[in-house]
Amino acid sequence: MEEKKDREYFKTLAHHLMFDLSDEEADSIVHEFGTLESQMALLDAVNTEGVEEMIYPFEAATTFLREDVVSNVITQDEAMSNVKKKLEGHFVLPKVVK
Amino acid sequence: MIEEMAKDRNNVESRVKEAYEKAQALQDKLNAVITFVDPEEQLKELPEDGAFYGVPIVLKDNVNTKGIRTTAGSKILSNYVPVYDAEIVTKLKKAGAVCIAKASMDELAMGGTNLTCFTGPAYNPWDTRRMTGGSSGGSAALVASGVVPMAIGSDTGDSVRKPASFCGIVGVKPTYGRISRYGIIQYASSLDHVGYFTRSIEDAAATLKVLAGRDERDMTSSYNEVPDYSALLNDDIKGKKIAVIGNVIKNISNQETVKMFNDLMDQLRAKGAIVDVYDFDNDMMRAILPAYFIIANCEATSNDSNLDGIRFGVREDGEDMEAIMTNSRTKGFGPLIRRRFVIGSYGLFEANQERIFRKAQKVRRVVVDAMNECFKEYDAIVAPASGNIAPFINKDEDQDQLSNQLSDENLIAENYMAMGNFSGYPSMTVPMGFEEGCPIGINITTPAWCESDMFNIGLAIENITGYKDMKVEVK
Repeated sequence: MEEKKDREYFKTLAHHLMFDLSDEEADSIVHEFGTLESQMALLDAVNTEGVEEMIYPFEAATTFLREDVVSNVITQDEAMSNVKKKLEGHFVLPKVVK
Repeated sequence: MIEEMAKDRNNVESRVKEAYEKAQALQDKLNAVITFVDPEEQLKELPEDGAFYGVPIVLKDNVNTKGIRTTAGSKILSNYVPVYDAEIVTKLKKAGAVCIAKASMDELAMGGTNLTCFTGPAYNPWDTRRMTGGSSGGSAALVASGVVPMAIGSDTGDSVRKPASFCGIVGVKPTYGRISRYGIIQYASSLDHVGYFTRSIEDAAATLKVLAGRDERDMTSSYNEVPDYSALLNDDIKGKKIAVIGNVIKNISNQETVKMFNDLMDQLRAKGAIVDVYDFDNDMMRAILPAYFIIANCEATSNDSNLDGIRFGVREDGEDMEAIMTNSRTKGFGPLIRRRFVIGSYGLFEANQERIFRKAQKVRRVVVDAMNECFKEYDAIVAPASGNIAPFINKDEDQDQLSNQLSDENLIAENYMAMGNFSGYPSMTVPMGFEEGCPIGINITTPAWCESDMFNIGLAIENITGYKDMKVEVK
């Protein structure tokens, strides 16, 4: 049986994405979800039998091997410049093991 | 206009300061700026020469600027100060441009209204009760009000081309890969383009020459040579074959817009263009918005998972790392963003991926194949960029919900421009006329790398309408 797409379902989903939803916000998604299902019906109306997914606009790959030359370097200070809590080049977070 | 300005070496300081002061003076009315950038230091570091020598410009606030706060319109990045410049910032600096402001935008570029920026809505300079459109609304408002002749935006669905229509200016989204995206805060990587606003086709051509080109730090940027777009400008469209999207015209209820558009088509015919109505499959046209919505949200959910408050951005307290991330993301993202992430994540579930995400990607190919079929016969695809002028801002309504309405008018007439993002083909909006004193634009799309053809058709339209270097005095 398909899982019920209610307030609690979307709150759980939000927790997997690491944020919370208020009751009101979760209810809004329940409502929006109905629209999503209608939109899926619009997609289903297009015959895609034998069609390959289009991931990017152009297929031309630009991957290549290059010489192992150091470039575009930032300093440790720069890398840490936006960190709220830091100590000796490390991010400071609460202890996980109490 | 940009070319003349760059040649005028005597008034650099005064014009840059004037732009900076005008942006500040208009802030109460337009709320188009997130961060003002003092031009003083930049003026001292101007290069010897350049196509933008001493030209004041504005950057959308998802463009990383070294040492200057870059928020992408989101509270979670409201304290973020990049340690590097985006490639286009480097190019603009080398050309002598002076950035005076970082412009308002929909949060993380995920919206079409410019009502969701953490600093509040941007207001339309033609009528401040109306929206600018989004997500590059702040940039559009500052070009339309005459503060700067060029502002950078970004376009994932129509985020440059729709505000250009609502603000009465030129809005360009070139071919995918034409302009480097290195240093642009991402929304949906397979659809994101750097775009920009100007008040004339001449300036649009001059700007692309500066911005375009391969960048080793953006693997999606193209090796294709960058032509001299300005030298190629020519409004002779005799024999050019133009396809009008019949599905869009049929679904615009506002007959004033339809008449305005049809009259313009007659004038293009009078200049020798061959203009035909071209009907795409209606079911396919209805599926563009849903396919866009799914692809964009799915990609965004993944792309924006790095916004957690740990390494950069606003960090909220919590008793462990998970709590810090959860609290930072809950307080840092607006409700619309969180809703979109939930929908995107749902589409990526293994159980749903084939039915939702993969299906949308297949529909994307069907749309692009249909465009290619049309381009076998035609040089350009055109339609009104919007059926109506900019809507009023209604504070009591969640106006982004409008984009989910299932009418053909909304699905087809108001949201077809994502075709340009699916295909990556160049697409731009040019002013076409006025209703109730507010502007409305026409959209032109050409095959990949055919920006010159697009500019030439745009120039022909600009010469017909006379809407060149149009700016509005904000009341």
